[in-house]
Amino acid sequence: MSLGRRAFLQFVGGAIGGTLLTPIPWKLADDSAIWTQNWSWRPSPERGEITRVRSVCQLCPGGCGITARLVNGRRAVAVTGNEAHALSGGGVCPMGASSLQYLYAPYRIQQPLKQMGSRGDSKGFKPVSWAEALKEVTAKLTKLRSEGKSHTVACLTGQKRSTMARLWKRFLTAYGSPNFYTMPDAADSMRLAVALTTGRDAEVGFLWDKATYVLNFGAPLLEGWGSPVYLQKVFGRWQTEKPGVPRTVLVHVESRASLTASKAHRWIACNPGTEAALALGIAHVLVRDKLYDAAFVAEKVFGFEDWTDATGAQRKGFRNVVLAKYGVEETAKITGVAPQTIQDLARELAKQKHALVVWGQDKGDKPNSLYHDLAFLALNALLGTLTPSGTVVLVPPDPWGDLPEPVLDTEAYRGAGQTALGRPSTVPRTKAPVNTVLPFLEALASGSEYPVELLFIHEANPAYSLPETALVTQALQKAAMVVSFSSFMDETTQWADIILPNHTALERLDDVIGLPGAPYVYYALASPIVKPLYDTKGTGDVLLNLAAAVGGGVAESHPWKTYEEVLKATVASIAKAGTGLVATAGSFDPASVLPGRPLQPNFKDAADLWNKLKAGACWVDAPAAVESFATPSERYELACQGLMVSISPTAADDLFMPRFHPLKPSGEESEFPLLLVAYASLMLSEGYVPNTPFMNKLLPDDVLRKQDVFVEIHPETARTLGLADKAAAVLKTPRGETPVRVRLTTAVKPGVVAAPQGFGHTAYDEYVQQKGFNANSLVEVQLDPITGLGTLWATRAQLRRA
Amino acid sequence: MSGSAHSEHAESKVRYGMVIDLDKCTGCGACSVACQQENNVSFRPDESDKLRTLSWMTLYRLENGAGYPDYRAAMLPRPCMHCDSPHHSPCTFVCPVNATIRDEHTGIVDHVAVRCIGCRYCMVACPYHARSFNWWDPKWPKSMEAMLTPEVSPRMRGVVEKCTFCHHRLNLARDRARLNGEDPDSVVYTPACAEVCPTGAITFGNLKDPNSDVAKLAKDPRAFRLLEKLHTEPKVYYLSSAQWIRRQSDNGL
Ligand code: SF4
Ligand code: SF4
Ligand code: SF4
Repeated sequence: MSLGRRAFLQFVGGAIGGTLLTPIPWKLADDSAIWTQNWSWRPSPERGEITRVRSVCQLCPGGCGITARLVNGRRAVAVTGNEAHALSGGGVCPMGASSLQYLYAPYRIQQPLKQMGSRGDSKGFKPVSWAEALKEVTAKLTKLRSEGKSHTVACLTGQKRSTMARLWKRFLTAYGSPNFYTMPDAADSMRLAVALTTGRDAEVGFLWDKATYVLNFGAPLLEGWGSPVYLQKVFGRWQTEKPGVPRTVLVHVESRASLTASKAHRWIACNPGTEAALALGIAHVLVRDKLYDAAFVAEKVFGFEDWTDATGAQRKGFRNVVLAKYGVEETAKITGVAPQTIQDLARELAKQKHALVVWGQDKGDKPNSLYHDLAFLALNALLGTLTPSGTVVLVPPDPWGDLPEPVLDTEAYRGAGQTALGRPSTVPRTKAPVNTVLPFLEALASGSEYPVELLFIHEANPAYSLPETALVTQALQKAAMVVSFSSFMDETTQWADIILPNHTALERLDDVIGLPGAPYVYYALASPIVKPLYDTKGTGDVLLNLAAAVGGGVAESHPWKTYEEVLKATVASIAKAGTGLVATAGSFDPASVLPGRPLQPNFKDAADLWNKLKAGACWVDAPAAVESFATPSERYELACQGLMVSISPTAADDLFMPRFHPLKPSGEESEFPLLLVAYASLMLSEGYVPNTPFMNKLLPDDVLRKQDVFVEIHPETARTLGLADKAAAVLKTPRGETPVRVRLTTAVKPGVVAAPQGFGHTAYDEYVQQKGFNANSLVEVQLDPITGLGTLWATRAQLRRA
Repeated sequence: MSGSAHSEHAESKVRYGMVIDLDKCTGCGACSVACQQENNVSFRPDESDKLRTLSWMTLYRLENGAGYPDYRAAMLPRPCMHCDSPHHSPCTFVCPVNATIRDEHTGIVDHVAVRCIGCRYCMVACPYHARSFNWWDPKWPKSMEAMLTPEVSPRMRGVVEKCTFCHHRLNLARDRARLNGEDPDSVVYTPACAEVCPTGAITFGNLKDPNSDVAKLAKDPRAFRLLEKLHTEPKVYYLSSAQWIRRQSDNGL
């Protein structure tokens, strides 16, 4: 048979049609698979039965539902969202969607390692057995405890919203050390502010679906703040036309035209770091024009009017302070926002049926100045959003009660009496936990107070992702022994003496407690989607193992054999609490959950709840309504009496209440005339895990080009510096300098340099390294003078031609 | 069936299409990552040379050109437009070996890598830069070969690739329909990008079914297509209420 060229093509076309009609489950749309012998060097993925496993993502605090697709139950080939998940629907973020690239990453640590060379030498690690590695750590723990040095053991974990954090804290308490830290979080300062003003330990949740008008001070709602996918879903709902329902208006305040600013219905451009001043200026107008919720203020608020402190001294109240200090003109001068705009915003807010004021920074991983958290809370209080019918709720971090109290033996008592390393004495004593990570690292690096003999680092990469990386590296070198539990050879783990590699997020059973920014009490279990690929162990199990080996009160405090048992205990206490339900998309309306109306359980018992959670569902409940306050005045305290212990009794009246309190950046303006701000993006990871190759493909070539990262500057700034678009330059701050390239854009204000976070890794592999600079190595942290928390707003900077 | 393309085009009840709501899209990039994973799109240590990179779903930044603080930006996700111009799409018209063809039954423009001779005529013809060329053989880090999906074959050096509207997902859905005794032509399926989009910005379905969401949205007053003046008849529609975005729809990407 002879086929002409045309006929041949028709023949092939026919063959395609034919294959489409064959009901073979793994039939391919293209016909390359049958030709694979011709491209033997190109991988031919093994075929087989495709199954799905549902779980919950643990890569950020977002708590999103995920679905993994497996081939022959062994090979995970895709991670997508879980459409049955009540809050994230089928959505994921780019990091969640590329999570398999962490599971299968070449930079994974495949067995326990011990540093045989000198500290920090990534080539010096040699494999050791688990038994050997654990023996060494146990010996150190036992020795320190017998020498009465238990307080010199410290832990820094990045898994803040998991039972793991509680287990670490428990371990250290029972062992006898106050030095338990989690990676910094916006909740660190917010919980203190909430405790001071309301007398409760709670996070702030926002009723996004109820709000008709959202005034957002700086939180990149669409770029990774809070629970990212949940918020994207909320935004999707705001943008969906519903007949008869007016759209929720989003007004965004920020210095830079971030994507959130661009997507908002209105963007208020202010000077970098002056959002809190604007909030107080708006409060001024509300007070001056009597636009605030007078009933709430009269009945439930303390310190609005002048007050008398415990020593009998007369003090000015919020009304007089805000009227005197935050006039519209003054506020306009600080913020760069026009006086008229400030007045309009106040009036618009006051008009709303359901106004909401939110605030935040980056991905919620930076504590705020205490006074600024107080200012945003105060604006909410003035608007009456904290009432049971309002838009702000207080979400307790563990409403169903913690694990049973640990058993404290003598050494544990001794340790509990020690001060946490570097903790300032000004930190107010409230119900909220105190997480002074940076003062701890500073004291460790400088060798003041006492040394750290053993430092555990878990699911965190502080040497990369904390600001002032130089300080962190110094601190790591000062710790006598560093044990890392990382699954990856990251910048921090390179400084470890012993590595006890954890299973990655997709290989272990774990949990997620609470969703930042969401108005729900939330709990979910993350089930492993594949068996562990390497000789790794879940850190929860390792910790229980260590506790048993140390013995005494430490062993007694940890009666569980496996981490799974601990999780089961948590789930049992949720089931026992008797409220909250297993929420599934479709039957669950996130907008219907209102504070004070607990949800009716839809599960039989703890075992039933466990099984449903293990299958990828989440448990949701409504928080209690804020009916009363547990402060000394039994009211919401605009003037915080809890601050009496932190500041001198002779301090000025405004030091007890919200105020605009910028900390002076170091360096001289003459040398550093510009301000550097760092920004977050969902396309970039600046946390425990680095960018995946999938995520790198998303990056525009005016953000990253080969090894160069671009910083954004206004064309005017560029003109004064003689820099053309894409030009090479040197960016210098009091913390260091780095080569950069500039992108000219009117998205930033003249005088400001905006740098992306998430570049500049030196660890991992060739897909991650050699890409620009780490913004954290250039920015300056400022310790809040009251809470000791590391805050960040802007760093003085200089740009010059390269 | 390609021989009788024209007549079938007129008759087919199915025209798969997509609507991307730019008022909802936040430019997060989840769609593009899901696409890479779903379709074994390969990557290299340096992905910043955009003339060399492989990308089926690309995000473009649109800017309104105004000064501070009137500046606004938006991201525009761009898959293949699966152009429905009569007889041929621009790319299928120029392909000398019928490696890229429009399935007139569904309207999907496919690219069959093993037939592709790498002449790149189609890349030149495509006004949307929807096609990428394999300048190198794909190479995954050894441990990552385990995550390659068997549903789509990895391509090889010297061929072009592009968005297929996740054609393999359609095939699966059609097979399932047949096994269940249902009409394969009435199946609805969701491509990977639409599946993961957290804001629900991407709607996919049969444009010829007047009751489908995608058909309704394509008639929304906010709807427009890219480079409509070229009459390529894209089956990807965009929605935006921002004038400055709509105005740019006739600019090249
Ligand atoms: S937002 Fe966070 S939890 Fe959700 S998919 Fe992304 S990384 Fe995972
Ligand atoms: S996933 Fe959705 S929101 Fe994200 S970039 Fe794609 S279309 Fe836009
Ligand atoms: S339809 Fe499929 S192939 Fe096309 S962009 Fe979306 S995910 Fe990629």
